[in-house]
Formats: sequence, structure tokens, C-alpha cells
Amino acid sequence: MIFAGVIMLCIWLLLVPVFVGGVFTGVDKLGKNLLFRWISGQICLWAGFQLICVPLVLLEKDYTLVRQLFLVYTVGMVLISLFIFLKKRRNTSLYVLRSFEQGQKREMITWGIFAALLIFQLIQAVRMTYADGDDAYYVAISTITENANTMYRKLPYTGGATQLDARHGLAPFPIWIAFLSSMSGIPAVSTAHIAVSMMLIAMTYGIFYLLGAKLFPKRREYIPVFLIFTELLVLFGDYSFYTAENFMIARSRQGKAALGNIIIPVLFLLLLILLEKLKDQRKVAWSYWILLAAAMLSGCLCSTLGALLTCMLVGITGLCSAFVYRRFQVLLLMAVCCAPCGFFAALYLVLG
Amino acid sequence: MWNAVITLFREYMGTGLIVIWFFVSVVYLLVTEKRKHIIILFLYVPIIFLLLFFNPLFARILYAVVGDEIYYRILWLLPITVVIAFAATSLYERLSDREKKWKSVVLAVCLAGLIMVSGSYIYNNPYFKKAENLYHVPQRVVDICDAIEVEGREVMALFPREFLQYVRQYSPVVCMPYGREAVVSKWGASHELYEIMESEQTDAALLAAMAKNARCHYVVLPEYKELNGSLEDYEYVIFGRMHGYVIYRDISEEEWNFR
Repeated sequence: MIFAGVIMLCIWLLLVPVFVGGVFTGVDKLGKNLLFRWISGQICLWAGFQLICVPLVLLEKDYTLVRQLFLVYTVGMVLISLFIFLKKRRNTSLYVLRSFEQGQKREMITWGIFAALLIFQLIQAVRMTYADGDDAYYVAISTITENANTMYRKLPYTGGATQLDARHGLAPFPIWIAFLSSMSGIPAVSTAHIAVSMMLIAMTYGIFYLLGAKLFPKRREYIPVFLIFTELLVLFGDYSFYTAENFMIARSRQGKAALGNIIIPVLFLLLLILLEKLKDQRKVAWSYWILLAAAMLSGCLCSTLGALLTCMLVGITGLCSAFVYRRFQVLLLMAVCCAPCGFFAALYLVLG
Repeated sequence: MWNAVITLFREYMGTGLIVIWFFVSVVYLLVTEKRKHIIILFLYVPIIFLLLFFNPLFARILYAVVGDEIYYRILWLLPITVVIAFAATSLYERLSDREKKWKSVVLAVCLAGLIMVSGSYIYNNPYFKKAENLYHVPQRVVDICDAIEVEGREVMALFPREFLQYVRQYSPVVCMPYGREAVVSKWGASHELYEIMESEQTDAALLAAMAKNARCHYVVLPEYKELNGSLEDYEYVIFGRMHGYVIYRDISEEEWNFR
């Protein structure tokens, strides 16, 4: 039973996002990279979940409806990805890391150190637990949703019935965890504390890898060194309770941890891709703008503050790039990407 | 407002060394990095965020909208980890290109050591401990909840403070008259029953009356808890003992049939 559940979680957290990520292979040269597909696919799924779930939460519908509609959405995205794959199959290939044929011994050692540190963190995510009071709210919401089929209409702390908690309902990351639990049959508390934690840690380093690939495009042998430094900064990032690194390791099942460690770094990656294209005066693919909007929407799924932080990051970078590269039309497209977040921020102000 | 923002920034910095390395990295990259798009994203944009963060007007607006507790998350927009790692790797790259490559290895080890000394190892955090099971909640919570659950219905149970954070994470059918909101003093949600439960010496008659009033089917008390009287005098029986706790069960019919 547990084995089947773990397989289902692997399918939902690894396989399905990689399939869906096929929609975004045209975003950049990195688009065919397996890690890019995994991350962009998950971002796309999260954005869809936000668009499906929030209206149904506000309409006080049952969780079952969210589950059914999200399944339909996921199947639809997989089919679109399959269609794109078949259309471009001659050009489509997957690669993760280049081979070590021309690599050096030192490079292999640094990859080995990185892998050892990553495996250590993944094992610690299973072996260690962090007592955080906020879990009493977020994890309990996942547990209740999966069991009682209601969303934000039961008090998570006590179990009593209550009016709709619309403020928290605008960022339904715990409902997504409940969905994973429903699909796998593994209790929501274990899904949140173990599966989601492991996925978030691995995905964060996946994003760091892609950032490293952009920062060291011609000297890829330095990517593992860059990754080892990021690992050390994360592992020794407990210099205060407020750091994103602390959230990543200690409170990874909470949406705000995903905001700080997946959504914001992904936005940095996407903005780096955009600035590079503006610098080289290359065309920006339509799928890029969809992915940017999806990443911003995913920020809203993770935390109600996500709308503000993602809009600030995209807006300020957009203004800087528009002035530096004299490409003011990007501001319009960025504003369009920000619009859904603006809508959720307005809802927060009205309902919060 | 200015003082509040400064205090928040100090709290975010902790010892301050990692944030100092971030600023050193920014300066280093400003001098050495030639690619403009990287300078914009990792150097100019964070500087603008810092200026915004310390802007009292901006802070006042955000404090009003999102509250003072989460204003620090603006600082998550500073790519501290990426910038420090990028600067360190760039430095390593420079030395690697020269003849004596061993120097770059020594440098990398020194930089790694500097990060380790400047930061704080996350698994040394006192809130981290070894998980007792795959639910990541204490085993006593799992065992007691499993023992008191009744198939097909919810039950109401009164727990000591150390259980409150975990019970509803594990079991959606075990309800409580109060939860974590009673514990967090700054939320100001005082609960009379919680005060009675947590008092050093508890009057059994009062506790029983209050628990029945809250429709509690079970009362869980530490074995060492000093009671004036016995709950068994008020239609409670000892249902079980585990992990140093006594589980009392209400045997009055009305408590089990109220819904």
C-alpha cells in the first residue's frame, strides 16, 4: 500500500510535471533540459491549480470538484505537451547533464560532492522533523480537506465548523498537498512533511543548477562548484529564523517556503533568460510569457504575499531592462503577466 | 517606522556575516562582471529592493496592507545565496585558469569554511529533532489519537499544551475545545479551559464540569498532574495509560449522543 502510494507520488511529483514541461521547450535553449521541463511543468500545474481552486474555495464548493477539474486540467496539459512533442519530434531531445567524456577528474569529484550533500539533505528531510507552530494550521488544513471534503470551512486548530476563511483560501497550497494525498493514498501529514519537503529541496537545487548553467554558459565545469556553494549557504543558512534557506529546510511543506525557494528563484531564472534575449535582440517565444505568468500565479498559490513579491520582482526588473535595452514593449507584456496577480491581490484586499 | 524596519533587518541578518558577504559579493561582481544582463538582475535590482525596504513610506504602506509580521519577506527578493555562490565560483574560476591550480582548491576550501563559520548549521537548530515516525508528529500523539478515535464520527478531546500543535495534523476526526490559538499569547485568544488545564494544581470538579461543558469525550492528563480530587468521581473512567499520560473517558451517555 505504502509502496503504491510512493509510486503515485513519484508520478505526480516527477513524471507528470516532466511531461507537462514539454509545453515550454521553446522558451530557451535550456527548455529541453529535463530539469527545466520538470520545474516548468510543475509551475504550469501549480498555476492551473490556483485558477481552478480559488474560485471553488470562494464559492464554497466541495474539494472533490477541485480534484476532478484539476485531473481534467492535468490530462489536458499532458495531451498538449504530447501534441507539441509529436509536432516537433525531430528537434525534441532530452538531456540532463553533458557526459563526462571530455570532463575532468576534478569536475567528477565536485559533482560527487554536490550529489552527496544533496542526498544528505534528502535523507535528513525524512529522518529529522522541525517543530513549527504554523504546521498546526497548514498541515491540518490538508488533513481536513482530504478527510472532510471541505475547503477552509472547518477550524484547523479545533475542528469546529466556521465561516469560509477566504484570506487563507486565496493561497490554497495546502489543498494541493491534500490532492497529492488523495492521489497517493498516503496520509496528508506524511505527504506534507516528507514528500513535499523532499520535492521542494530537490527542485530548489534544480533551479540553482539552471541558474548556474546561465551564469557559466561556456564553463560548465564550474556549475557543480557553484551548486556546492549554494548547498553550503543553505545548510548554514540558519543565521536567523527569517531566511528563505531556513524555510527551505525547516518548513518546506508550507507554501511560503515554496515561494521563497522555488517561485522567486524561478522568476530570477526566467528574468535572466529574458534579459539575455533582450541583450542579444532575440525573439522571445510566446511560451515564455505563459511560463512567466504561470510562475507568478504559482506565487499566489504559495502565499497571499506571493502576488506582491512576484509583481515587485518582475516590475522592477522590467523597468530596469526597458530603460537599459530601450525595449519598452516588454513592459506591456510584463504588465499582462502581472494582471492575474493583481486580481488576486485585489481579492485579498477586499476579502482579507 | 524607521526603527522598526532597522530592527527587522537586524533580526533578518542574524550574526550579519552572511549578509556582509552578500554585499562584498555585489561589489566584487560590480567590478569583475562584464555581462550587463547579469549586473542588472543580480546587482541593480537587489539594490532597488533594499532601497524600497528601507523606505519608510513604502514600509508604512506595506505594514498597513500585509502586517508587520511578514514585512521581512521583502528581503527574500535579495538573491543572497545565488550572488554569494556566483561570486565565490567566479573567484575560483579565475584562479583555476592559472598554472598552479591547487591554489584554486585551497581558495574553494577557504571560502567554504568562511561560509560555514559565518552561518549557522541548520540541523543544530533546537527545534530540529529526530522524527519518531513517518508522520513527523510525536509518537504519543499518534498512539493516543488512534486509541480514542471512534469509527464513523468525530470525538472531542482535551489535551495538554504539548499536544495541541500536532493532534489535528494527524487526525481530522479528533477535535479539541481549543487549539494552538490558546497557546500563542500575542494573538490574545485566552481560553478559560486551557488556563485550568495548564494550572499547576487543578480542581477535578471544575475541570470535569468545564470539560463536560465543552462536550469533551476524553480528557488526557500527564500522569504527574496534581488534581484536587479525582475525575472518576465525575463520570469519567480511566480509558488507558500511555507515554506517561492518563486518558479519561466520559461515560455519561449524553456526551456520546449529543449529535
